Amino acid sequence: MADIGKVRIRVPSSIKPGDIVEVRSLVIHPMERIERDAQGKIIQKNYNYINKVVVTYLGKTIATFDTTQSVAENPFFSFTFKATDPGQLKIQFLDTTGGRYEGTADIKFS
Amino acid sequence: MSRRLSRLRDPGTTEEHTDGHGLTRRAVLVALGAMGVAVAGGLAATPGTAHGQAFGQNESVEEAMKRLFGGKTIKDGSAAIKLDVPLIAENGAVVPISVTVESPMTPTSWVKHIYVVADKNRIPVVTRATLAPEAGRAYMGASIRLGETGDVRVIAEQSDGTLLQVKREVKVTVGGCGG
Repeated sequence: MADIGKVRIRVPSSIKPGDIVEVRSLVIHPMERIERDAQGKIIQKNYNYINKVVVTYLGKTIATFDTTQSVAENPFFSFTFKATDPGQLKIQFLDTTGGRYEGTADIKFS
Repeated sequence: MSRRLSRLRDPGTTEEHTDGHGLTRRAVLVALGAMGVAVAGGLAATPGTAHGQAFGQNESVEEAMKRLFGGKTIKDGSAAIKLDVPLIAENGAVVPISVTVESPMTPTSWVKHIYVVADKNRIPVVTRATLAPEAGRAYMGASIRLGETGDVRVIAEQSDGTLLQVKREVKVTVGGCGG
């Protein structure tokens, strides 16, 4: 659990202006599942899972994911964006306990 | 000071007597009810719970589809949507899925949302991707859980409101939703 909230982002090594770039991202998170008691009843509690992922590029939101507990542990997301200018790509993961985990990647043209 | 307070309090009591109990009691109940709603709203606004309850619920897939799309017609989207998901998932705890929707992705016509719904999951709604035209391509990938063998459906909502759907059955050897 020590790694919870660790964000990994992978972008292609060479990007040209105007390219549509695929980005892969991963966050270490338990994504707690629904638990049931001996009678099979759902235990009501605040399950800790990521419910929102926000991707911004050059300060503009390009993609968001609303997620539920049906998303796997240590969730992986990929998406594309159109590389128009060099700048920062930022991904934020928000979980149900108020946790906010961020990862950034600098987009440079080569 | 105390006299003023008592004077302040007095009109209230006299009012209650003159207006009759029913009205005031109702007023009090209404006020209490409103407070209750406010408290519930406040609770629901805490991160996660509200969102989780509103978006992912323990429900049947029919209910989920009704909740998400109402009575809107959903067209077959097999020509436009490319759904990449394994036919057999050995481990339901992690199933990779990727979706590409054919779309020009211009500010006048783009794919606004991509929904992923797993029919047999206790929480059928898996994720909803909201895209901007700047994404360049209507694409998303994610790793999802599948509780048991069943259909996985992907619904793409275009900027003009058109809904397109594709379905694919995935066989799950070991379920991944637990509970």
